[in-house]
Amino acid sequence: MSGFWSGWVIVLVVGNLIFYGLLLLGNSRLTPEEASRDTTGHVFDGIEERNQPMPRWWLFLFIGTLLFSAVYLALYPGLGNFPGLLGWTSAGQWQEEVERAAEQSAPLFREYARIPIEEMRNHPEALAVGGRLFANHCAICHGSDARGARGYPNLTDQDWLYGGTPEDIRTSIAKGRQGTMMPMKALIGNTERDVRDMAIYVQSLSNENMRNNPGYADSIARAEPKFTMCAACHGADGTGNQVIGGPNLTDRIWLHSPRLADIEAIIRNGISSLMPPHEGVLTEEQIHVLTGYVYQLSQPQE
Amino acid sequence: MSSKHAVIEKNIGLMIALILVIISFGGLVEIVPLFWHKSTTQPLSTLRPYNALEMAGRDIYIREGCHVCHTQMVRPLRAETERYGPYSVASEDVWEHPFLWGSKRTGPDLARVGLRPITEQWHREHLRDPRHVVPESNMPGYPWLQHNTVNWSTMPRTLHVFKNIFGVPYTDEDIAEQLAKIEGEWADATEEDAVIAYLMSLGHARAEQREEAK
Repeated sequence: MSGFWSGWVIVLVVGNLIFYGLLLLGNSRLTPEEASRDTTGHVFDGIEERNQPMPRWWLFLFIGTLLFSAVYLALYPGLGNFPGLLGWTSAGQWQEEVERAAEQSAPLFREYARIPIEEMRNHPEALAVGGRLFANHCAICHGSDARGARGYPNLTDQDWLYGGTPEDIRTSIAKGRQGTMMPMKALIGNTERDVRDMAIYVQSLSNENMRNNPGYADSIARAEPKFTMCAACHGADGTGNQVIGGPNLTDRIWLHSPRLADIEAIIRNGISSLMPPHEGVLTEEQIHVLTGYVYQLSQPQE
Repeated sequence: MSSKHAVIEKNIGLMIALILVIISFGGLVEIVPLFWHKSTTQPLSTLRPYNALEMAGRDIYIREGCHVCHTQMVRPLRAETERYGPYSVASEDVWEHPFLWGSKRTGPDLARVGLRPITEQWHREHLRDPRHVVPESNMPGYPWLQHNTVNWSTMPRTLHVFKNIFGVPYTDEDIAEQLAKIEGEWADATEEDAVIAYLMSLGHARAEQREEAK
């Protein structure tokens, strides 16, 4: 604050306090002439107003507020550029709070960092911390129950796009994942019938009834040889490829949708999904705790 | 001096005038100096004016009443900075007209939402149907945003008002460039595109300034 405005604030604040003090003093005493009268002289409908000074307790409260403001302005910033005797600032208070919390949590996180991921499930305290981290950073996509949503993987099942080992999970959290499927229509024959055939074939991979249903036999027979186009990512047998995140098509777990029309749209237009990297957002130790939390979500209960 | 107050008490006009004088001291001390205070009038060194798409998104944000449930003001408390990001400072909002700080958090604070690793795709799904990605959410869906194209007709005037009246340092070239984009790549942008561009722009200036300060 410039010198002028600092002075402006000081003069107005101090001036006000002095003014109120004097006003109070002036009104707290009666002149002998006033004191000699019993009434103020007001008469209305025969009712007279009695002449009483301000009650003492009220007066003292008023003096108390003046004293309080004087003490407050001496200790805390309020008088222009004067920082106050305590040197308090809101930013400083925040800094202290953050440092105190870091001091408390640092040894805890150091301890958690030594817990192997596989054993995190036996440390309820570390899991509770992981749960809070999950709620703040992961739940908006994977859900607060970690069961995911359409397009966002369920983390509580055994089906992993990029692998479910502690190291894989860690990498997914820290580095993120980028899954991209190109539009496949042109590569599998370029007609709508080819797209429909392939969608039926993809559905049949996880559905034995469809495979045995003669109504689908033609479509499946036409699409099967063309599935080599898909094999690079989904594997020749459709079981997927965790190195590049090609989903397993032979199970009943659908990342996007099991509906024929949706599968067709994905074959036609391709689709991409992104798990953003969390390095930098989370500390190394936080990622470790979170990895442990995510890992135990899909482990069978003992 | 004691009975002088009788004069004031019997003259209501004088009493009103004196009351106004007395209560104006609060404003004179607490508000007036801020108009000249550096921290409230100087933009953050890393602050950059909104581009036309973000500006349109901001208008839609206001039109749809997002600010009624979402604040844009992270207070200097650890619980808040832990959840949202760096606390807000006045110099971030020097070019905000009107500012959107808010005081009612039905939904989370959004001042730092652009810093979160959230994909554009998530924003789209979430705006159309919040419960698709966050089942426990009580936010209404805004599915029409994806169908409406941005109404650009007032944007040239908006940019000029921000430049000439609010003093946001757009150069003439900046405005020409923005207007060219309105005609070109953003001509068919949907309101959803605009809102997401706005949301994803939030918080970067403060984060960059903190990086620089390190």
